Order: sequence, then structure tokens, then C-alpha cells
Amino acid sequence: MKTIVLGVGNPILKDDGAGIHVARQLKKYVKDPDVTLDEAMTGGMNLLDMILGYEKAIIVDTVKLKDAETGEVRRFSLNDFLSVHSSNPHDAGLLEAIKLAEKLGEDRIPKEIVIVGISVNETQHVFGEQLSEKIAKAVPKAAETVLSELKGGKR
Amino acid sequence: MKTVIIDPITRLEGHGKISIFLDEKGDVENAYLQIPELRGFERFCQGRRAEDMPQITSRICGVCPVAHHFASAKALDDAFNVEPPSAAKKLRELMYCGYIIYDHILHFYFLGSPDFVVGPDAPASKRNVLGVIDKAGLEIGKEVIKHRAYGQKITAILGGKATHPVCGLPGGVSKGLVKDEVQEIKDMVKSCVEFAKFSLKLFDDIVLKNKDYVDLIKSDPYSLKTYNMGLVDKHNKVNFYDGMIRVTDQDAKEYLKFDVKEYYKHISEHVEPWSYMKFPYLKAIGWHGLEEGKKSGIYRVGPLGRLDAADGMATPLAEKEYKRMFETLGGKPVNSTLAYHWARLIELLYAAERAMELVADHEITSKNVRNPVGKPGEGFGVVEAARGTLIHHYKLDKNGLVEKANLIVATTSNAGAITMSIRDAAKGVIKKGRIDDGILNKVEMAFRAYDPCFGCATHTLPGGMPLEVNVYDSNKKLYRGIKRL
Repeated sequence: MKTIVLGVGNPILKDDGAGIHVARQLKKYVKDPDVTLDEAMTGGMNLLDMILGYEKAIIVDTVKLKDAETGEVRRFSLNDFLSVHSSNPHDAGLLEAIKLAEKLGEDRIPKEIVIVGISVNETQHVFGEQLSEKIAKAVPKAAETVLSELKGGKR
Repeated sequence: MKTVIIDPITRLEGHGKISIFLDEKGDVENAYLQIPELRGFERFCQGRRAEDMPQITSRICGVCPVAHHFASAKALDDAFNVEPPSAAKKLRELMYCGYIIYDHILHFYFLGSPDFVVGPDAPASKRNVLGVIDKAGLEIGKEVIKHRAYGQKITAILGGKATHPVCGLPGGVSKGLVKDEVQEIKDMVKSCVEFAKFSLKLFDDIVLKNKDYVDLIKSDPYSLKTYNMGLVDKHNKVNFYDGMIRVTDQDAKEYLKFDVKEYYKHISEHVEPWSYMKFPYLKAIGWHGLEEGKKSGIYRVGPLGRLDAADGMATPLAEKEYKRMFETLGGKPVNSTLAYHWARLIELLYAAERAMELVADHEITSKNVRNPVGKPGEGFGVVEAARGTLIHHYKLDKNGLVEKANLIVATTSNAGAITMSIRDAAKGVIKKGRIDDGILNKVEMAFRAYDPCFGCATHTLPGGMPLEVNVYDSNKKLYRGIKRL
């Protein structure tokens, strides 16, 4: 199955870049020619552009959850979120972008969109490339979740 | 008037917040906007290689990477004492037009137009691009998507990557254009000119032909008489990529015109205890609180600020539209905050027309796209980001490493004006404590017109609320709050 794994985040905004760290770690393990690995520092419409044409998309990002410890890794389907819009006031949310594309007859939307979320409880607004300890520990866990998701997809 | 003491409202992390305070009668006493400010940028940059700055700064913000990229490249041209070849400047400007095209289309159709096409009082779930398409038709939706993608494609062809360009270097760009690419861009921008014309027609039909909307645009709560700022060319026409910074006053007369190298002589920043955001103002006039008028140093940037600060547009169709806007809204300057939307569409037309000129220029395929750099020193760069004037200022050491970096970003420049616009709109629409979703949306409209970019796009899912509006009663107790999901 033609799949894209996208690490999302801002690599110079500390924990916000966790998704990018996961994508970089996965480079060593993902050898399947059907799987594309990429990084994205963007949301909404641009994110949609990047996943069009794949059968499955796995998006790795930080998530804010009410009932989770910092650094917990969870798997979601896109519909678990009311709105997925990357905190970006200028853009559409991914969910909105996908609904729009469906409405306009876009036929390249992935059939399955999975989100691997790393729970963060504080949004930091300080520049830096280092992850905090708990989030750094979550990176290999998230990478494993992506790998088992990729295996599952082949069944 | 009673003074409102805001304590202890926590400075907020993560998203923008509007706080509105009511008096005993339930009328608005005051309103504040709080925006998270990214910190530690200067320290982050210290000791880094200068030539990495266009990449690093383009990552500050997921919204205007191209603007940061070129403000940075221009600051480096200056710091390394090198003038890019003329072809390189044209390539940068062409790419810049692509960015303005996609950015302005995105703002108008996704964020600005729902309030007018679907209606300011419509349920929030309908006030989005899907609602616009339900009303305006599927065909329009397809055109929106197509032309936004064209803008992206142009920046991708020139910049190497659509979202985070890698082409800008001190002294020029890393690659030129080949013939096939020129033809591809020509076809796209030609179509963008038509689409911009169509968008202005749509604005006419939906907004200007509706008396209620025109009244709203012209109404007092949505007017603000500040100074205006923008880059202009040597004929004082709007330019996104280069020129002098011009400031005009409340009578549309030129108050200042300066090179970016002198920005610190003319712009200062004020700090308020309730906000992380800094409030830039004109130094010679001074900070006199959140006040409009000639005696207050607050200025506006962005589409309307630019059009007000210039004498016209440098391309024929946009120039015609420019004149029509000022005639329709009662001459210069136009102070109506909601006219930012109109100004944005005129700029969309200009960007498409200007891109047509640039791509037809015989020099655009030149191989001479970079000049050798000189010794490192201090450098200043300025561009007009989609949402206003953007300044980068670096000091480099003798090895070309960054010692100091300072940025003045557009939304910061607009901080004072946005706060006042929110306050005035709130005072205009909230009476006797009566509040509903439509009323609060009308407050948000004053904010949205500026296309503010805050928190510079952190990515944490589900994101959920780029904006929270809270209304407090006279005892400072929360009276009503909404979070936009």
C-alpha cells in the first residue's frame, strides 16, 4: 500500500518539533519502497497537498489531550479530532481542508489517515532544538507505533 | 471614566485571547488582545553561520516563510556588502509574487470572505470556506484551490521547496529559471490575473452591493485613524520586495520616508504589563497609550496600511482598482479596518500582474544569479510580508557568525492598532450585556481583517482554538466565553 509517514512540527521550537524527530529516527528503519517518509512544518492546505495521492497517511505530531501524561503516545484516526488545524490562525484545518477536497471531487485523498500523537501539556514558546526529557523518551515509542502501523497496513 | 485594572489575568500561552471588560450597565469599558510571543530568538541565533539565517528564520513561522526567507537574504546582502545581480532580484521578486498570490487567496477565501458571503451572524459551523462554497458554488471552490496551488507552485519552482524555500543566499539566489519553467509560470500567472479580477468582482457583488455591509465597513467602530506604513518604489507605488519605508499621516501626507538601515531611529517598542507582545510606535511622536490620531505614534501595516502609505499601484489594472477603492470609500486615507479585505484583493491583482511582467522579462533566464560576497559586518533587510512590513537586522562577527539578530514582524507592528480595533468594535456591538455568537464574531471580524499571525504557527494537535474571546462583568467575573474550535 502506497503510504506516507509525515513528521509534523517546528524543529526550532523545542518539543513542538517532536514529530520531526520521529521522522528522522524512522529513516534508519523504513526501507519499503512503497513508504515515503517526509517532514512537514506546516498545516491545513499544505499538509493536504503533501498526502494527496497516497492510499494511507500516518501523521506524527504532538497532541494536547485532557487525560494524558506528558510523553504518552497514542494512535488516533483523523475523525477523533473535532478540528485539526495546527494552531495556525491563517490556514484551514486539515479536517476542513479534507472536507473541502472531498466536496470538490478530489479523488486522491488517502483512504486511511492515522495520527500518532505525542502528548504535550505545555506549549513552549522558546526557541531551541532540544527536546525535553519526557518528550525525547517518547520519540522511540512513537517511532515504534508508526512501524507497527506500517506492518498492520500490509496485512 | 473608571480605570480598569486587569489583575491577575494570566498571560496566555498557546493561542490568542481577547478579553472584554464590561461596566455595571453591561457596556464595554475596555478590551485587550493577548498574543503569545515566541521568545529566545536572539539567543538561538547567536553563533550560527550567517548563511543559515534564511533557512532558520523561514522556520520561525509556518505562515510567512517566504517573507522571512527574503528579509533575511536581503539583510545578508547588506551584511556581506554585496549587491545581487539584477536577474537575481527579479527572480526573488517573482517568487515573492507567488507567495503573495497564495497567501492573499487563502486569507480572503478561507478566513475573510465567510463573514460576508455566509454572513457575520451565521452559525460558526457555517462560517468557513465550506459555507462559502455552499453559497457561491462548487466551481468557485475549484478556482480557489487551483489558483492557491499556482501560487505555491511558483514559489516551489523558484524556491526549491514550496513551504520552506532554500534559494536565497547572500548576493543572489542558488538557481535560475529554464525556458520550460518560464512558460509554465507564464500560464499560471496569466490565469491568476483573471482570477484576481474575478475575486474583485465577487467582492463588488457580495459586499459593495449590500448596503448593510457598506454601512458596517464605513461605521465608526470599524474605523481607526492611525499613521500608515509600507514599502514604496521610487514613484511611491506599493512594492513588496524593495524600496523605501514610507509613513503617511491621518491626512494622507508623507510624514517620513526612510531606508531600512535607519529603522531604529524611527521605530521604538513599548511594553505593556498585560502582554508579552511589544507595541512598536513612531519614535518622534512617542507612545501615548492605545490612542488614535496624530499625537499617537501608533501606525498600521498590511494591505490597507500599504495602500494608504503609497500613491498608487505600479501595474495598470491594480492601479485602476486602487483609485476605485479610494473613490468609493471617500478618499485618502481609508481608515475602515474592514477595507483591509478589499485592499488585499487589489494587492492580489498587483502581484499577479507584476509576476506577468517579471516572467516576460528577457533577463529572467539569465545564468548570472549570484555575486561574490564581501567581508561580513552589519546588515538590514526589509520586505512587505503579506501582513505588513518585516524587518531583519543582523550583526556578524569577522568569521561570518551571528552576534546579534533583531526582527520586527508585521503582526507586532499592528499590535496597537489591532487592540484598538477590537476595543472599538466591542464598544460598538456589545450593549447592556447582550452578547451572542454573532456579536462576538463581529468583534473577531475587527481582528481578522488584519490577518494576524501569532504564536508563529506551533503545530500541536488538535490545536482547536486559535482564538478565545472572554467577556468579564464589572466584578471581573467571567460572564461569557467562547473558544473557536
